Amino acid sequence: MMKVLIVEDNIDLARNIQEFLQHEGYVCELSGSCKEAQEKLISFHYDCIVLDLMLPDGSGLTLLENIKEQKLKCNVLITSAKNSLDDKIDGLDKGADDYLTKPFHLSELNARLKAIYRRNALGGDNSVRFNEIVLNTDSLEARVNDTHLDLTKKEFDLLLYFLINKNRILTRQSLAEHLWGDYTDNLANFDFVYQHVKNLRKKIAAAHGRDYIGTVYGIGYKFDTSLS
Amino acid sequence: MKLINRLTIWYLAITTFVLLASGLIVFYRVQAEIENEVKTRLKRDIDHAAQLITDGLSIDSVRGNQLDVREIDFNASLIPLEVTDSMGFYSLYRRALDRKFTVASSYKIQGKHYYISAYNFIAEPDEILEGIIASLAVTLLILLLFVAVTSRQMSKQILSNFNGTLKTIQGFNLKQKNRIKLAHTRTYEFKELNQFLEKMTNKALDDYRSLKEFSENASHELQTPLAIIRGKLELLLETRIDEKQASLIEGIQNAVQKLSSVNQSLILLTKLENQEYPVKEKLNFSRFVKDEIESFRELIEMKSLSLTTKLDPEVYLDLNPVLADILFTNLLSNAIRHNSMNGSIDVSMSSSGLSVKNTGDPPKVDTHELFKRFKKDKQSSESTGLGLAIVKQICDLNNFRVEYEYVRGNHELNIHFLPKK
Repeated sequence: MMKVLIVEDNIDLARNIQEFLQHEGYVCELSGSCKEAQEKLISFHYDCIVLDLMLPDGSGLTLLENIKEQKLKCNVLITSAKNSLDDKIDGLDKGADDYLTKPFHLSELNARLKAIYRRNALGGDNSVRFNEIVLNTDSLEARVNDTHLDLTKKEFDLLLYFLINKNRILTRQSLAEHLWGDYTDNLANFDFVYQHVKNLRKKIAAAHGRDYIGTVYGIGYKFDTSLS
Repeated sequence: MKLINRLTIWYLAITTFVLLASGLIVFYRVQAEIENEVKTRLKRDIDHAAQLITDGLSIDSVRGNQLDVREIDFNASLIPLEVTDSMGFYSLYRRALDRKFTVASSYKIQGKHYYISAYNFIAEPDEILEGIIASLAVTLLILLLFVAVTSRQMSKQILSNFNGTLKTIQGFNLKQKNRIKLAHTRTYEFKELNQFLEKMTNKALDDYRSLKEFSENASHELQTPLAIIRGKLELLLETRIDEKQASLIEGIQNAVQKLSSVNQSLILLTKLENQEYPVKEKLNFSRFVKDEIESFRELIEMKSLSLTTKLDPEVYLDLNPVLADILFTNLLSNAIRHNSMNGSIDVSMSSSGLSVKNTGDPPKVDTHELFKRFKKDKQSSESTGLGLAIVKQICDLNNFRVEYEYVRGNHELNIHFLPKK
């Protein structure tokens, strides 16, 4: 079970994250300032810290420096409204594991956190599995019933995203943003998401996998584990 | 007309008038003085002659050059002092007629009656006038010469402060960080002017700064609530809802998404205005553009667009990499987004400029209008209407020239790296 500390001064934003992550079975704690976070870090161990850069009593970067100085074994994901490249480079230089620009989709945050956790967990198991589906996040290999799936990079990303956000409604917009990031703005519509999902489902079906991915309300998709 | 020329003309007009007037005064004064002087002297002469006769000298010995003594009838009444102003021959050769001034009077001395007259030749009025005119002309000439020689220099000196102020004001830019500093002056008017200008520009700078801060803060403040709405909507989707509600949520999500991308563009625009983007080293723009095109390739293929590139491999620019990224991404995004199905994109670059052409519907708005904020070809379209404003801003920051034309079914965006000659 992953323990996450959310350092964010905006209580609504923090609660959103907390609520979302609790559904994943994470233990989430909140702190609204550098000082509070520091106190928590002394007493408890966290696997991951979701760190906002602009805090009432200083910059999140200072907290990050402290964490690295004290050699605490926790992963740090920076979230910030500042989307300047400098901030990003600065944060990653100081040892953050990832960087997410506000506003972000909670499912995206979830995926990033899991990815960091996978990468850095001791005895790192870089595979993500669900029933007959196994994804190796290092070799980007996907298997269904031990049959190799010939997926494109985007299809692999898509499947991984579904597996990480199981039983959640993923809107076309959030899928598009996950796959195309900043370039999403250039797409007049999300038809191409439909295309990718369709291809992915076809390939899984060809390998005799179950069709877990269903459309929901016509606005997005859901990887539904109850189908198994 | 230059101020100094204006002043000179006025100065010369006044001087000419004053010289004319003073010439007249001098003329009458000189004439009166001369007449007075000559009269007094001649009167003294005849008085002296009368005295000599009284002392016993004969009238023949008293008579002399320009002095005549005649004996007249004793019973004739005394002739009081009379002054005649006439013309007479001056030289012995009687060539030139001159103004002859005669003073005469009769004296009764020791039982005899003498009529004594003395005369002298004096300058005629037109001669005096001539002299005055000549000397005034010379004076005027000297003045003219002096003004001509010194006025430039003087104006430079007197107006140096003014010119300095003018130069500072011409170089004034609302976007500059420092307040203007005008040189100290002792001239009252310039002091007033400088004080006013300093006050005004400071006010303008302050207002502009607070406006910028306001828009930057406003945009930043919007970011957080937008993020909260987004999160809540995502959580809402996870609750028990029906299809109708889901599609409402999707509608809200799309609108929030649009709002937040408009907002991010605004933040970027204010940042471009407020921040410095230092250039640390020459940017290999060729490689940069090539990489960017690669990252867009999938999107280009998804819209079945054909892409042709003609890139000079050795284009280096003094451009901040962050700005380069935003600039080119915006251009290529536009070329993809506003393209027609199965259309084409043509990117060409040389050391003098970059050109991005794409097929698409003809614009309904004047093309350079589209560089303005929120100016869109189709008001309803999904774009923020800020992309080209950002492109323009970056070009302005780097002294690039950007042009947008629609030529034969192609949208052409040309950026000239070099300043116009």
